[in-house]
Amino acid sequence: MIFVEFLIKRILQGLVIVAITSFVIFTLLRVIPGDPVRLIVGGMAPDNVVEEVAAKMGLRDPILVQYGRYMGNLVTGDMGQSYLRPKSGMIATGGEYVDPTKSDMAEVWDLILERVPLTLQLAATALVFALLVSLPIGIAGGLRSEGWPARIAFGIQSLFVSIPNFWLAIILILFLSVKWHLIPALGYKGFAYVILPAIVLAVEISPFIIRTLTTSLAEVMQSYFIDEAKVRGLPRRRIVFGHALRNASVPLINLLGIQLSTLIGGVLVVEYIFDYPGLGHLTVVSVVGRDFPVIQGIAITISAVFVFINILVDLVAYMIDPRVEL
Amino acid sequence: MSTPILKVDNLTVAAGDNRIIDGVSFEVGNSEIYGIYGESGAGKTTLGRALANWLPAGVEQTGGKVLFAGHDLRTTGANRVTIGRDIAYIGAKPQSALDPTVPVGPQIVEKLLMVQPGLTRTEAKQRVMDLLHEVRIASPEERFYDYPTKYSGGMMQRAMIVDALCADPAVLIADDIIRPLDVTVAAQIVSILKDLCLKRKMAVIFLASSLLALRLVAGKVGVMHEGRLIEEQPVETLLTAPKTEYTKTAISHVPRIWSSNEFPEDRGRADDKPLMEVREVSRTYKVRKRGTFGQFNHVKAVQGVSFDIMPRENFGIVGESGCGKSTLTRLLTWLEKPDSGDIRLGGTSLANFSGRELLDKRREFQLLLQDPYNSLPPRVTVGRMIEEGLRLRGTPKAEMREKVKEAMVSVGLPTSIYDDLPNALSTGERQRISIARALVLDPKLLILDETLSALDQGEQSKLIDLFAKLQETKDLTYVFISHDLAMVRKVCNRIGAMYFGKMVEIGDNKSIFFEPKHDYTKALLSAAPTLDEKPFDAGELGFEPIQ
Amino acid sequence: MSDVAQITPTAPVAAENEGQSTVTMRILKTAWRSKAFQFGFWIFVILVVTSLILPLVSPVSATKMAIREKFLPPLFMGEGWSWIHPLGTDQLGRDMLMRCMVGLRYSLMIGIITVVLMFIVGCGLGLLAGFKGKWWDTIIMRITDAQLSLPMIILAITILGISKPSVASIIVVLGLSGWPLYARVARSAAVTEREKEYVRGLRVVGAGDWRILLLYAAPNILPPIAFVAVLDIARMMIFESILGFLGLGIQPPTPSFGSIIADARKYLINAWWIATSPGVFLAVALTAINLMGASLEKARNTVYAGAR
Repeated sequence: MIFVEFLIKRILQGLVIVAITSFVIFTLLRVIPGDPVRLIVGGMAPDNVVEEVAAKMGLRDPILVQYGRYMGNLVTGDMGQSYLRPKSGMIATGGEYVDPTKSDMAEVWDLILERVPLTLQLAATALVFALLVSLPIGIAGGLRSEGWPARIAFGIQSLFVSIPNFWLAIILILFLSVKWHLIPALGYKGFAYVILPAIVLAVEISPFIIRTLTTSLAEVMQSYFIDEAKVRGLPRRRIVFGHALRNASVPLINLLGIQLSTLIGGVLVVEYIFDYPGLGHLTVVSVVGRDFPVIQGIAITISAVFVFINILVDLVAYMIDPRVEL
Repeated sequence: MSTPILKVDNLTVAAGDNRIIDGVSFEVGNSEIYGIYGESGAGKTTLGRALANWLPAGVEQTGGKVLFAGHDLRTTGANRVTIGRDIAYIGAKPQSALDPTVPVGPQIVEKLLMVQPGLTRTEAKQRVMDLLHEVRIASPEERFYDYPTKYSGGMMQRAMIVDALCADPAVLIADDIIRPLDVTVAAQIVSILKDLCLKRKMAVIFLASSLLALRLVAGKVGVMHEGRLIEEQPVETLLTAPKTEYTKTAISHVPRIWSSNEFPEDRGRADDKPLMEVREVSRTYKVRKRGTFGQFNHVKAVQGVSFDIMPRENFGIVGESGCGKSTLTRLLTWLEKPDSGDIRLGGTSLANFSGRELLDKRREFQLLLQDPYNSLPPRVTVGRMIEEGLRLRGTPKAEMREKVKEAMVSVGLPTSIYDDLPNALSTGERQRISIARALVLDPKLLILDETLSALDQGEQSKLIDLFAKLQETKDLTYVFISHDLAMVRKVCNRIGAMYFGKMVEIGDNKSIFFEPKHDYTKALLSAAPTLDEKPFDAGELGFEPIQ
Repeated sequence: MSDVAQITPTAPVAAENEGQSTVTMRILKTAWRSKAFQFGFWIFVILVVTSLILPLVSPVSATKMAIREKFLPPLFMGEGWSWIHPLGTDQLGRDMLMRCMVGLRYSLMIGIITVVLMFIVGCGLGLLAGFKGKWWDTIIMRITDAQLSLPMIILAITILGISKPSVASIIVVLGLSGWPLYARVARSAAVTEREKEYVRGLRVVGAGDWRILLLYAAPNILPPIAFVAVLDIARMMIFESILGFLGLGIQPPTPSFGSIIADARKYLINAWWIATSPGVFLAVALTAINLMGASLEKARNTVYAGAR
């Protein structure tokens, strides 16, 4: 029952959040200078053509009307069509007139779906790398919060968090890929292309994990029940792995929910640099081309993913620690 | 006595140069409950931990031995003496003793399997379940899978008894196990523990800061002071014929309720009209029931309470935690309004006031807070804190400063600390600031919410004298809300006892303490931690502790 | 408190022992005692002082082009290095050291102003939500959630990519990404604060919500959050450089770390230093700030654990 109530409540809240986000993005795109129609029809097109196309596309209606129409379509699973990308997937070359009102433009939904798996693959690999590095460091640092493991954790965390991701990406491409030909970079032709961007992302994420884990584990190790467990007769291994880590993992899981948008932001940048054909790449290209429907679609997708993962995070946290409020 | 199972020989424990335990020796045999009395800071906890070979980091055993059945705890291997199996320990913090993220039952089973690897899980569970029955936890089958946070303090302490006893230890160390508990709950726990240990022929070291508790359980009692065992006697002898001055003083400090025939002076006059009238007030809290789509549990915190407070009297409200005292305090101080019923001040209902009028009316009744450390915001100077009430009401600066200084003098604070931050002040001084803050408003009624309970005996009696003096000079009336029966007995003219949100009995000092009528009042009084004889026989009333 | 707890080394000095010194002072003192903080502090001071002074007194300019001096390597690195250009020159012969210095000025300025703004906005809304509760809480926290669910980068590239980036718009965009976390932290602190004994004391005396919040609760809640905000300065500086890299930051000719590195990609193989040195420069500055921030955070946790 608690679960059902929780799920219903959070899904409703999530819908509100997605609605707010999409409204903000929708409004921004229409308030900010730069007429997409001018881009679509080409700089040379006469004004009356621009107006004609704009009217046909409904871009001259009041924003609320446009938003209502958009949301109406969204409910039926229709995110509209790209202004710029024809169905073939090729970007129309400049100057050539493409009628965006015709149905030969790519569906935004398809564009996004096509790229989601690649982005997920990258994010998951990065998370695995990050955990591989930060779990041992974080646990050691948390258990010996006065000794050298804590100092190492502190140093690594301060260093990693100070390296700009795009710069690290360039350096890694320069050395590992261009100079020494160890790992391929740029583009995507198989799993090997995930490794470098995933390393960059892992360097970006791991300081947060290390920091949270050392702090929370050190704090849990101070708590009375850990101390008392010794006199109750539990061996240290059991105390640490059975109880201390269990308690320390709750803040870690919560962190994932909170830092998720940072992670997603990192993915966008890294994809762009590595020319990795995921959502991030699509976002940057769409913004440059003012492809409004695609930008909106991505923003909504990401905020929905965010909401979903945060529900998941709270559920897992609750499963570990029943004191967490659902 | 047969060979002692636990022998402590000239034990010395130190943290750096600081000797915490200094040459302590004693012996405990099977089926013996050995009590150790000591105030906080005497070294009890360190002793208890040393006996379980469980000293915290930075604290070391520097001399002497602790022998369990002849084996030195420090040098013998874990195969001979297992902490948790042969020697068990129960502490004073039951509610933080277990992992909050794992249900209680499985944690006890886990411990049992760790210290007795031969058992199967089913056997272990059965044994824990049996013991949960034995310590009288209601419906243990359900409670087994509840999380520690769902347990009340008393229940949790019972679960910890199960945890300690499940592996059938030969020695049990019980360190101040009733300290965090309400008196009626503590009395139950002590008797349960005593029965279980005697049945199992266990040796128990019962460390406590309450002579009353020791009298209930212990045979022989050692008195600990500044790390030494200064005397050792059977408990009754100790109480009647203490050998040392220290013990004598300690016994004389135990509060008395029934030994004296004096009653607090009644300053009331024949033509007095009630200062505050509380009429049938009730307050119910809605607590969201989880998983029910917005249904609520209705917690009736205060139900139909009525009483009058007469001018210049000391009215006491007693009861244990959860009885509704705090809610009643919020109602009396008009921080919350009652759902039904009425509180009248000088004949007019408080509900009739609002805004500016209420602000004026508030001058007449003020609250003195409980926790001295959190009662003052840390970054605000003493003077600024005291004058807040006047400042709010737009009093001119010069007049304000005058009044504040006057109030500071009348509560015994040096005016030199006017511009100081409160950080360095003692608990007593902090409470005086709180009093001064109320006094600048020229109140008629002061409501004291456990104001004295954080203070030590000496400071407490100084403040009680101060209250009496202020009452004379400023015509004040006090409401003492407290769990400290001895203090209420000493100070209050009339007393109300609360239980489950209801005022079960109101009477004057004499009738409440000497001829209590309600069963709960009797139970509460009979569990009071005093050494004097009770004028009535409460027997086993078996009251459900409030949870 | 029992005797053992007082001597356990993990229980820090009790609050009363340090007399009149406030919690803030004790946190600063504790942090100052750590080598990491001092190390970071001095690097930071040196970097800031030189980046403020050097461009003023040096004859070398950050923007002056000298095609004949292009692609000069840093000191001791290959052919043609000179003391005049310790970090070498770029594809247009501009001095890399000067470009880094000026870049750092902008980066720091944007970082600090952004953090101050989002601290004010975030904490303000958070305090309101936590202290007033009810519908204040619901509305503010829902907006916070929505803001959190929209990654800064998307918002940034949408706003800056479509309108023209300026220092002000960059600050606004970065600030939008950061305030929700402050709002959350401040809210939960305010919820705790609201239940404290002294608040009850003030209410009985007659003080209202606003008065208690502004005069008494806020000074208690905000300093511990401010210490952690130092870490966010570094984070915002990174974000600023990312925007620059994407071409959405400060526009040329004003140098910014991001745009320098983005331009240098083309010359990566032949003139590696153009992309490398600004990165190292920025990373050193960020490490200094992060060392200070993390030490402050640690000191804060120690002091608060002791006060409990």
